[in-house]
Amino acid sequence: MDTLSGLMGGFAALANPETLLYMIGGFLIGTFFGAVPGLTSVLAIALLLPLTYSLDVTTALVACASIFMAGMCSGSITATTINIPGAPSSMMTALEGYPMQQRGEGAKALGHAALGSMIGGSVGALLLMVVAPLAADVALLIRTPGKFSLIAFALIVIIISQRGSVTKGMIATLLGVMIATIGIDVVQPLARFTFGTSTLVQGIDMMPLIIGTFAISELLIQADSRSTRTVDPGMIKAAPVRRRDFVPPLAEIREIGFVRYLKSAVIGYAVGILPGAGGSMAAFVSYAESMRSSKHPERYGKGNPEGIAAAECANNSMCGGAFVPMLTFGIPGDPTTAIVLGVLVINGLQPGPQFMTQQLDLIAPMFASLFVSALILIPLTLYLLGPYFLKIVSIRRDVLYSSIAIVALVGSYVATYSTFQMALALVFGVLAYFLRRQKYPIVCLLLGFVLGPSLEEYCRRSLSINDGNPLIFLTSPDSLFFIALTLVFFYFMVIRKPKDHGLGPTPA
Amino acid sequence: MPSRHALRSRLLDGEFVLPAILAVVTLIYLISALELGPPMRGGNMTASFFPIATAIVVLIALVVAMVSALRARPEAPEPAAAASTQAGEEGRDDAPVARRYVGLTPGAIGVIVLTAGYLLAFDLIGYFVATFVYVLLLTGLFSGGLRQQWVSKLVATVAITLAGYLLFEVVFQVRLPTLWSQ
Repeated sequence: MDTLSGLMGGFAALANPETLLYMIGGFLIGTFFGAVPGLTSVLAIALLLPLTYSLDVTTALVACASIFMAGMCSGSITATTINIPGAPSSMMTALEGYPMQQRGEGAKALGHAALGSMIGGSVGALLLMVVAPLAADVALLIRTPGKFSLIAFALIVIIISQRGSVTKGMIATLLGVMIATIGIDVVQPLARFTFGTSTLVQGIDMMPLIIGTFAISELLIQADSRSTRTVDPGMIKAAPVRRRDFVPPLAEIREIGFVRYLKSAVIGYAVGILPGAGGSMAAFVSYAESMRSSKHPERYGKGNPEGIAAAECANNSMCGGAFVPMLTFGIPGDPTTAIVLGVLVINGLQPGPQFMTQQLDLIAPMFASLFVSALILIPLTLYLLGPYFLKIVSIRRDVLYSSIAIVALVGSYVATYSTFQMALALVFGVLAYFLRRQKYPIVCLLLGFVLGPSLEEYCRRSLSINDGNPLIFLTSPDSLFFIALTLVFFYFMVIRKPKDHGLGPTPA
Repeated sequence: MPSRHALRSRLLDGEFVLPAILAVVTLIYLISALELGPPMRGGNMTASFFPIATAIVVLIALVVAMVSALRARPEAPEPAAAASTQAGEEGRDDAPVARRYVGLTPGAIGVIVLTAGYLLAFDLIGYFVATFVYVLLLTGLFSGGLRQQWVSKLVATVAITLAGYLLFEVVFQVRLPTLWSQ
């Protein structure tokens, strides 16, 4: 009952004009960053991170949630209209949306995408509110050896989910772990890898790493493009659309069916809970399942609203699932929740099993923001801004990237009022640039950095309570469970690789 | 068996060079970790155990990556406009292929030099002057020069500099350095 009233309080908090303003502002920023090819909602949240020093934690979390939700659905705009997914999670939407655009049904395709996102996002947010408190109760049962095995499980799954580049995933993850070891040791008061520099004794802050890997590296990559605008104005030649064109016909919604929407949402949510999976994997799995169970699989790839609904429903539902491991175990499975964890840490909060009960008043508005963003802001944005979407995302690149550079660099300065953090952001940006150029997943770098210290701490604590005997990891039931789970995932993801049934490259 | 020329070109390729450089960095890290003391003491892990273990695994993975790079078949050149999607949610690498210097494209070198200059100038000459010059040069870099549409670039530069000031100093109450604040 306390949980229910706490969650209701979250919705009430959105009535605060300032919080509401940040939610709507965050949603519009997320829509823009998700829709513009080359930008992502992760970058938008990364740029927001320094500002959270001055923001109230609830307001910051509300803005993060609305950016996350908006970024997941807005990638469908350019995926449908010009066949360039604004975000990786919209790749499957492009397969169906663009053929619909070519036969003059682009607005309808966007309507189906928005409806799917709306349903998926709402269901995901509701499931988060129901499942997270239960998961928190389960998390209380996990002891120190189990925590080590759980984090090891998360890191291993993140690595093996990098299809075709497991070695690169492992290198990037462990580089993140190595960077995290700089500074004071997690158990003893001993400085490590400072190389005689006093500024490194405090360790590497998460912010320059995030700003560097996501913002600065993007600037370096985009610096070589010769186009002057983010979307070529020559591609914007579609016939003018009316607002009512965005409303999908009831007959088509019936044909897709309530069960398909619900199933896609549950798939997306479940995939979201898994470490390293993300929105593109959720959309891929749901799309594949929808095609498998469809009465008309032959229509897929030719502009089928069913495929759009399945993909968009799943990638938005994923947003809810992704928060479960972060809030209940303190283990983020994707970059967005890793940055949200950063927001919490900046404000002196550490997620864990009791976080849901002790800090529900702080995080309930974030749940409410996810739900309201999906249920109200997605359709409202499409209705109000739909006819102008392509004009909005076709922005001058010099203005866009100069603005990003200033927000990123000055944002890095905010934490300590020192240019050292800005210099670190540049160093990590250059490192991430090289990694990205050679297809090393930089998400792994961030997650390794976030999870590394906990992995080391729980490993050492487990061994010290058992006189250095590593058998504790096999004799402790919770630890054994996660080791078995790791083996199951390894078997299915590495030894028995799933087939893609001709759906194109499998997203990681 | 690849020819000597093919082997040489692969050795200079980023696919090999990057893990090689990372291996050197990891080796330095490993040596520093070994200097921290023995990995085990009294049956318990010390502060050096985890870094040593991590560095060893990274080195093995880097050797695997280097061997794979040497064995790999040469890839067909990427189409300039192809938008490749990177794994995960972090974004896309959709810039066209350009000539590289030490693995960096001219545009990337430009951004790095400008940004390094900005960091040096930020504390010395303050937010306004440093940001104005940095943004003006960046707009030139991202649009192929400052001569075309220079008025609109100037207006955009002033607008971005002022917007940054309003956002950080006024809205978020961050004290930014100024020319006379030292």
